[in-house]
Amino acid sequence: MDSLIPFTTSGSLVDCVDRKMLVVLRDGRKLQGVLRSYDQFANLVLEDTVERIYHQDVFAETWRGLFLIRGENVVLLGEIDLDQEDEIPLRQVDWSVLEPYHKQEVAAKKQRDELKAQVLYDRHGFCKEGGEGDGY
Amino acid sequence: MLPLSLLNAAQNKPMLVELKNGETFNGHLVNCDNFMNITLREVYQTNAEGDRFWKLKECYIRGSTIKYLRVPDTLLDAVKDEQSRAREAGRSARGAHVSGAGARGRGAPTRGGRGAVRGGPVRGGRGRGRGA
Repeated sequence: MDSLIPFTTSGSLVDCVDRKMLVVLRDGRKLQGVLRSYDQFANLVLEDTVERIYHQDVFAETWRGLFLIRGENVVLLGEIDLDQEDEIPLRQVDWSVLEPYHKQEVAAKKQRDELKAQVLYDRHGFCKEGGEGDGY
Repeated sequence: MLPLSLLNAAQNKPMLVELKNGETFNGHLVNCDNFMNITLREVYQTNAEGDRFWKLKECYIRGSTIKYLRVPDTLLDAVKDEQSRAREAGRSARGAHVSGAGARGRGAPTRGGRGAVRGGPVRGGRGRGRGA
């Protein structure tokens, strides 16, 4: 059986260009769009971008258009399987309906993460990441 | 084209800039540099919560504070057109001196054209059409 063939050039995004990709940002946003170009910082140009939010078994989408994303804000990039992308086991609703629930979740998560980071810092000497001065 | 080239091509176009702290700046791009530092004019600034607004005639944003920029959807097309027009102009200007074979050889290869989305892998990763 074929195994996943790695990129021929290490760390290159050339095989992702002109493909539909999922981009997750450090602020938790999930964007889907066609990757048109990139550079040595992994700054990305994403075309026909859609932002999706999730809550329990429901999701919502909104059109965002053409993005230039600064590379340091990207957590991950994943290729979207065009065959499977429409098989979503979730119910779709309007963005305006879901947005308040999503915002609540985001705020709650932020609180939990801050608490966790504080405990880890105080008791175990872990450093606090993801703050304002974290990028380069 | 490279992301920063796209930004350079977006001069005088309206755009939305979101900073790492969630503030947004809506304005027309005046200038930019290789660090992604930008200057905007006729700017509408919004705080992260979206409940406070400022109007600024001009502003400077340091590139390292930017999360992303949203630009008009038509920008990519407009730039590609400009580039091909510039190439044609350059080619015809030099056409009198260069032989036909030479001019053709320097044409940039197209990557499947604007709007094309590559679907199935060329690498045979999923065995579609190739058999296991």
